[in-house]
Amino acid sequence: MPTENTDRERRLRILVLDDEPIVCKRLKPAFQKMGYEVETYTDSASALSRLQESPFDIVITDLKMEGADGMQVLTSVKESSPDTRVIVITGFATLETAKESYRKGAFDFVAKPFKLGDILDCVKRIEGELRGKK
Amino acid sequence: MWWRRLLGHRQARREQDGPDVEFWRLQSMFNNFRRILDRNNAVLERMADMERALGGEYIFDRTFLENAVRRIASDVHHVVYSLNALTGNGHVSLYDRYQDIRTILDDILSGNEQATSAVAVPLLGDVGWELEPLVGIDAVCLAELRRHAPERVAPGFAVTRHAVLALTAPPAGPDAPFGQGGGDERAQLPRHPDADTVREQLAEQCADLVGGDADARLAVTVTRLDEEERALPLAEFRLRPAENGGRIEIILESARGGADALFPPPDDGSAASRSPAPVTGRIVGTRPLAPELAARDAADALAAAYVRCLEDLLRTLRDGERDEPNDARLTALVCRCDAAGLRGTVLSSTISDDAPDLGDVLAVHARHPGLPDGGDTYLLRRIQPFLPVRTDIPRRPPGTRFPDGRLATDLTDNAGLMRGSALLGPKDVQGLAETSTTLERMLGSPVALHWERGRDGGCRVLRVEALAQAAREIDAGELAAELERAELLSRGGQMVQSGVAAGRVVHVDEDTPPSTFPAGAVAVARSASPRLTPILRRASALLTQYGTAAGHLATVARELRLPAVFGVPDLLRRLPDGTEITVDAAETRVYGGVLPTLLRFGAAGTDLYPTDPEYRTLRRLLRFIMPLHLVNPESPDFTPEGCRSFHDVIHYCHERAVDELAHFQERRPGLGSIRTRRMRLGRPMDIRALDIGGGLHPNAPREPGPQDVSSAPFAAFLSGLLHPDAWNVESASLGLRDIVAGMPRSMNMLSAPPETLGENLALINRDYLNLSLRLGFHFSVVDAYLGNDPQRNYVYFRFAGGLADPERRHRRARFLRDVLEAMDFKVSLNADLVVGRLKSTETDVLRSALHVLGALTAYSRQRDTALGSDAVMRALFDTFNAAFLREFERNAPTAPEISGSRPERSAEDSFEEAAACVIAPHDAADRPAGGD
Repeated sequence: MPTENTDRERRLRILVLDDEPIVCKRLKPAFQKMGYEVETYTDSASALSRLQESPFDIVITDLKMEGADGMQVLTSVKESSPDTRVIVITGFATLETAKESYRKGAFDFVAKPFKLGDILDCVKRIEGELRGKK
Repeated sequence: MWWRRLLGHRQARREQDGPDVEFWRLQSMFNNFRRILDRNNAVLERMADMERALGGEYIFDRTFLENAVRRIASDVHHVVYSLNALTGNGHVSLYDRYQDIRTILDDILSGNEQATSAVAVPLLGDVGWELEPLVGIDAVCLAELRRHAPERVAPGFAVTRHAVLALTAPPAGPDAPFGQGGGDERAQLPRHPDADTVREQLAEQCADLVGGDADARLAVTVTRLDEEERALPLAEFRLRPAENGGRIEIILESARGGADALFPPPDDGSAASRSPAPVTGRIVGTRPLAPELAARDAADALAAAYVRCLEDLLRTLRDGERDEPNDARLTALVCRCDAAGLRGTVLSSTISDDAPDLGDVLAVHARHPGLPDGGDTYLLRRIQPFLPVRTDIPRRPPGTRFPDGRLATDLTDNAGLMRGSALLGPKDVQGLAETSTTLERMLGSPVALHWERGRDGGCRVLRVEALAQAAREIDAGELAAELERAELLSRGGQMVQSGVAAGRVVHVDEDTPPSTFPAGAVAVARSASPRLTPILRRASALLTQYGTAAGHLATVARELRLPAVFGVPDLLRRLPDGTEITVDAAETRVYGGVLPTLLRFGAAGTDLYPTDPEYRTLRRLLRFIMPLHLVNPESPDFTPEGCRSFHDVIHYCHERAVDELAHFQERRPGLGSIRTRRMRLGRPMDIRALDIGGGLHPNAPREPGPQDVSSAPFAAFLSGLLHPDAWNVESASLGLRDIVAGMPRSMNMLSAPPETLGENLALINRDYLNLSLRLGFHFSVVDAYLGNDPQRNYVYFRFAGGLADPERRHRRARFLRDVLEAMDFKVSLNADLVVGRLKSTETDVLRSALHVLGALTAYSRQRDTALGSDAVMRALFDTFNAAFLREFERNAPTAPEISGSRPERSAEDSFEEAAACVIAPHDAADRPAGGD
């Protein structure tokens, strides 16, 4: 069992899923710079497979993708790992999809394009919550 | 006076007019105008969003680009429609221009390169990012560098991919594939050049490059572009006239990708065939000069031979593209070069084989063909001031004469030091290092640049090559530890261009000579003035206390990919001159000292890079959206056909709309019969106001005074117009000559249609003023919009007339011009007609400008008769300057930054605020600003 201290020091693990490589390419170093462990995926099948193998603290997923879409990823993550926080990002934001995301347990819903600072703040909020709980 | 009685009669009749039958028409005009302003504003905001995305502020994908184009196009279309509605379809051809640009943008989004291939052989100065798929990123970066630092880049031109295909195509047959001429495909793609057009353009550019010099030499680089638009230099040649005349020689400098096998030495027993060099510096062919042409003009003959030679070289290389010669993706860069002298390369980032322990360094190599050794190598730190970490200079025999004509033992001007045996001096090495890091920033990857020393002694870049970026995983723990230890000096502001840079702080302002700015320092300025632009190419980062990410300086910073943050609070105090700092622009943070891990992280591809497809597409789109080419409304090119970007289109619409409103009282005399309210101003002038919405206080009396004005621009203008100092005028000396000279003009005025005569009419609403003003014998128009958004604001000022002789009237016009230019108006002057425009600047600056215009209007009345000499005019300017302009200059730069978040002013506050905010002459600061 990790001690409380090591829990606090453990780096947060983030999985980013977006079929646009540019989004993964830019988010990864930004989170690394904050000291987080980051894995990126551009297809949902690989990401879901990885999520089955190992839980992540935070999942950031695009909504509209080929194969399993973001809503399915969100459902799957919350089923297998309810403590994982999920941030939905999309270039096709509508009130309906936002509502549905929240209803299924998304932590936040972010419309693309977004400022890097916005998503970093969102992750920091989650980190604050998680550290506070532990 | 009889004419005063006539005017009085007309005014009385005006007040007794019936219902405002034309009011709706006026409102309709203004509503169209307002729609133009609103949509213009929306377009500018969307442009700013796209620019900020380019600077790395947003995470975006392709959907964003598609949506942005769709929305901007829709807004621009509405602007065009509104202008035509405002002017009675006076600008219908603008729809065509809009559609042309829209089509280009759609082509770019769909990956169709035809949109940008209008010129087959563009001059380096005309190569922009939109041509990247056709000439390669290397040529574009060189062109961009040349734009900012022309002395560092050799003059030249590019041959586009399509031009190479057209030029080298075999004769077309019935089954000729695409690009070989004559087929149906060509008919569908009218922008494809044909071979004759390419030859013609090549001949023109070669002749320009040769420039009448029969000894001119060219450097030619042929590059292959792959499907992902990566550029691979295939072969580099030098073309030069043979020493014994009559021919040109082709020297293969380097070759890759099998290209060297295409150019065996000629087997003719000539010097060329005996050339021992395996690849570099090998003569691979010669071409004769046309004898009859050579006899007439040797330089012309040389240029013509170069054209034929280029065609042959390109054809050989195209045929060598074994896989798909008919779809070869070759492009060429041709630069003027000098006689074989000092030359070399620079690697902006490398790990030396000889000294791997030094880590990542910048390497400058220099060699001279006249020296038998391999040349010098200078390894430098990668950050300013590029301190040397290791220098390898071969031992050279005593008596060696160096390229500058000196011996190693010769004394230099530098405190009696000897020249030494290095090929390059420290300044040259630093200059090359600086150029390479600038290009590295622009390309987004390490570069190899090839340079030579020109006849003037300066080092010029002949070509640049992007090198593969080594994957550098940064230990996040190491970075986090470094950041935790680092001293955070500043945080906040608006990121303009992401990136990490380190250097010493140097405070700059508009008067800082660029040459005194130490290269590689971090420029720290109070405001983001466009006049700082020349400093940017020498800076490693830019920070300002005020300024928005939508201005010109921001655009240049993005073009150069210079890390930049604007609007940093308390910047000048926090970062004193000389402080060594590291800027992390994406985080809007400034740390004390140099943070090596953060610098490495910043260079490791964490940002949006020019090699990213989305970045490329966005940058190409912006080339047809952002640039403003139509600047001067007085220019003959200021036409719908002259619009080359959406910015041009909306600017054209805005100017034409302002012009329509500024002249509506003359052009639409029927509108002059609308009932108006006389202003009670306490001055001998008659201004009547027509409120079209919120321009006057709701409870204003029938004859409103300045305190009843809630129109922001009108209030500012009145505060100047009624200022006591503006009326403190000695009696004008009016000679008989002046009266006689003025008679025809006064008679013309009185014979003008009654609707255009006499009354000074102010059409106002809360944010808008259109004032036609006649004081004495001059006529002026002020058209202004003054809201909370700087992007929408403008002031238009037109002045003409006077009673004095033409010379004196012209003198007054020059006086007005000088005043306007002192406030940064763009001014045109034609005889006694002065037109000035000021736009898109801070609200308080425009308010001050309106105040000055008000004061100027009163101050300059009847002045023309007194302006008997230029000296009097200068004295008049000095007096006005002391009273009003000095305070304007003092106030304008300190105006608080406008970011759209300014609180709304109450209508009642407008006049008081205008009077308080605008300048008050320092000798009368405590006087009330409005009225007697």
